[in-house]
Amino acid sequence: MRTSSEQIPFRANAVQALDDPALRATLRNITEIFTQKRADAVSSLPFEEWRDQASALRLHVLDNLEDYIGRFAGNATRAGATIYRAKEAAAAREIVASILKDRGATKVVKSKSMVSEEIHLNDYLESQGIEAVETDLGEYINQLAREAPSHIIVPAIHKNRRQIGELFAEKLGADYTEDPTALTKIAREILRQEFLSAQAGITGANFAVAESGSIVLFTNEGNGRMVTTLPPLHIAVLSIEKVIPSLTDLPLFIRLLPRSATGQILTSYMSVITGTRKPGEFTGAQELHIVLVDNGRSRVLAGAYREMLKCIKCGACLNACPIYRVVGGHTYGATYPGPMGVVLTTLLDGMERAHPLLDATTLCGACAEVCPVKVPLVQLLRGLREERVEKGLTPWVERKGMIGFGWVAKWPLLFHLGQIAGRVFWPIAKRIAGDKILGRMPDFASRPFRRRIS
Amino acid sequence: MTRGEIIELFIQNAAKAGAEVQVVKDQEGLSRVALEILKGRGSIFCPNMTQREKALSLPADRCTQAYASASLCIEEVLGAVAETGSLVLSSQAGKPVQAGLLPGHHVAILPAEKIYQNLDDLFGQYGHSPPTNITLETGPSRTADIELTLTLGVHGPGRLSIIVV
Amino acid sequence: MRIQLFGTCLVDTFFPETGEATARLLRHFGVEVTYPPGQTCCGKPSDSGGYTKETRKAAEHFISVFEGDDPILIPSGSCASMVKNHYPELFKDDDRMREKAEAVAARTYELSQFLVHVLKAHEAGLAGKGRITYHASCQLTRELGVREEPLLLLRSVRGAEFVPLPDAERCCGFGGIFMAKLPEVSYAMAEEKADKIISTGADTVTGCDHGCLMNIADALRKRGSSIKVKHLAAVLAEGLR
Repeated sequence: MRTSSEQIPFRANAVQALDDPALRATLRNITEIFTQKRADAVSSLPFEEWRDQASALRLHVLDNLEDYIGRFAGNATRAGATIYRAKEAAAAREIVASILKDRGATKVVKSKSMVSEEIHLNDYLESQGIEAVETDLGEYINQLAREAPSHIIVPAIHKNRRQIGELFAEKLGADYTEDPTALTKIAREILRQEFLSAQAGITGANFAVAESGSIVLFTNEGNGRMVTTLPPLHIAVLSIEKVIPSLTDLPLFIRLLPRSATGQILTSYMSVITGTRKPGEFTGAQELHIVLVDNGRSRVLAGAYREMLKCIKCGACLNACPIYRVVGGHTYGATYPGPMGVVLTTLLDGMERAHPLLDATTLCGACAEVCPVKVPLVQLLRGLREERVEKGLTPWVERKGMIGFGWVAKWPLLFHLGQIAGRVFWPIAKRIAGDKILGRMPDFASRPFRRRIS
Repeated sequence: MTRGEIIELFIQNAAKAGAEVQVVKDQEGLSRVALEILKGRGSIFCPNMTQREKALSLPADRCTQAYASASLCIEEVLGAVAETGSLVLSSQAGKPVQAGLLPGHHVAILPAEKIYQNLDDLFGQYGHSPPTNITLETGPSRTADIELTLTLGVHGPGRLSIIVV
Repeated sequence: MRIQLFGTCLVDTFFPETGEATARLLRHFGVEVTYPPGQTCCGKPSDSGGYTKETRKAAEHFISVFEGDDPILIPSGSCASMVKNHYPELFKDDDRMREKAEAVAARTYELSQFLVHVLKAHEAGLAGKGRITYHASCQLTRELGVREEPLLLLRSVRGAEFVPLPDAERCCGFGGIFMAKLPEVSYAMAEEKADKIISTGADTVTGCDHGCLMNIADALRKRGSSIKVKHLAAVLAEGLR
């Protein structure tokens, strides 16, 4: 899906997605359900207050990020972990691969990590002869189908039960079934064997706690716990902005994240992992390696759009976005879809490649309304659009049209002449230009309002 | 909140999350309820570390030390949080936290006085050196990855029973 | 009381009847309606695309046309928000213009704001007809915070039945430049909105923004619906002649 400097063909992708009635019905369904669940979960709670607190805390961390990362690294090391800092995606991949190769690990189990998708870790490990088995059910399905995730929280939601049934029958040799319980059982049995025999486990982390050197994982399935407690070696890959100051800050985010993501009060499991197994303990990895990935974030932190890094990857903005709802995640052609995806991808991948994503918003503001940490998504999108214009990346016709608009708005005579010309040429223009844009608009009035008002 | 209100709130929230909760008054009640739950459930793992665990009088022929293959794990947990209806498990005191994760049914013995009112009370006690693993368990394992249909027991236990003592 | 009416470029060019209804409504309440000549467009089209230079041209012209102290009335949430929320920002590096922008912004009202807070029109027992549902446009609600006013007005209309629209605040897909850049996506969003409107059983859908209404009207028509699409001003002025 990803070619390094090709522009993301958002419109073409969208047209394809819109043509799939099953996908549209699924998207409509899940966004309605998640939106309703979130609304129910936040009612009669001081949610606005929590959002303000979380926003302020995240900003404080960003303002002191180097310091907090340093403290996290020191404390995690004290607890037995080995810390690595990877500036670029390639460095992060190589670090993970070399840790595994050093220990002769050829198969690892993985619990979902968006940043590991971002750096294309699985493909790289495969090229190095290491099999990474995804254990989150949705990611496992995607892995079998060799597809990318289409939603941060429910990554395989673009597939219906029939498609999953056929996939399992084909790839796993299972008897065909489309019953979700039966399909889940098939996956459970296969993956249980993988958990018990894996030489290593790779996870992401939802948060990193600076004062204790802990990482925090939220899962519903239990795979996060399996991956971090069964294999002797645990590698955690996370992006640098995930840090929060101390364990006493965790409750605020526990209150915000699951409710924003799925409307749950808490996910079934949440683990706080601090270093390696200590003497006298029977839980914990023997070896814990934590890879802190930058991949362009320091650059973003130093710039005008730094508030994007407050994001805690809950997916609420995806569920709220009226555009995501009709086109789905794959249309964005990037690791992260939806409103936060448009901004983060443009910032990390660069305007040249990602700028078509900036078309994918009406600036309606539904995303900013639900963001638990108050990322100012509308302002960020507006700013990026302005930058895109300054860089000359908008289509030539559009730029010329806008220059014309500027003159028409400034000179009433031009405005009036424009109306006269429009009355005459509009029907012809409509016929030439076709149905999609002009055809949707009404006809020019016979006499403009300004000539009717007395 | 009073202790009674905290316990009530915990029971409400744990049930909302899909756990089966019962309350007993003493060790005798505990053993009785536990044996009820254990009936016909196959092999049992119990860490046999705490007083309450040891006093359970479990049928010896069904007990196994291999928690990975047991059908059920019964253990006393460290505590709970009423605000979210969660159990608190941790690696301190040598407990194998994963023992409650692998079997299909997790039965948790929860001393009522160990229920924290809220998350702040829980996390306020650890300072900067928490045990290697602290896990909050809120209801059974679940997924909605397939068409948003709720399915229980994905990787972790599909059934969570809590006996408040 | 005297006001300055900004018709908006869409009303002037495509929907003059809304302008007429607005004037009729205001005059009914004894307001003197003046229409500063030479008005053009608030600049939202270029603003939505990120073209700040062109937007400033439009804003400077607007500010020069609307001199004075009278309240400025705009029958459009997006235009009113443009003036109130974005004009001062546009001139953040130009103190003189920014002050002028702030003064203009402070005098500007979206129509339903003025009708409710200044004229108390929702207590006037306006007459109307039909089974009406209401689309709550994005900048009107999320930028201007106008949510209750149109509802108060609609519910007060004698002879008309108000039916709430499910997901009334969800974007209809107009988005200014968006409709031209991603027309297929825009249309799909308009279809979703149209289906929700049809499901209410209303015979009329109303709103405060012609951009939205235009987009919705097209989708309704393509769905074969005969639901009427009318600006709030026209609905409220129905009983006035």
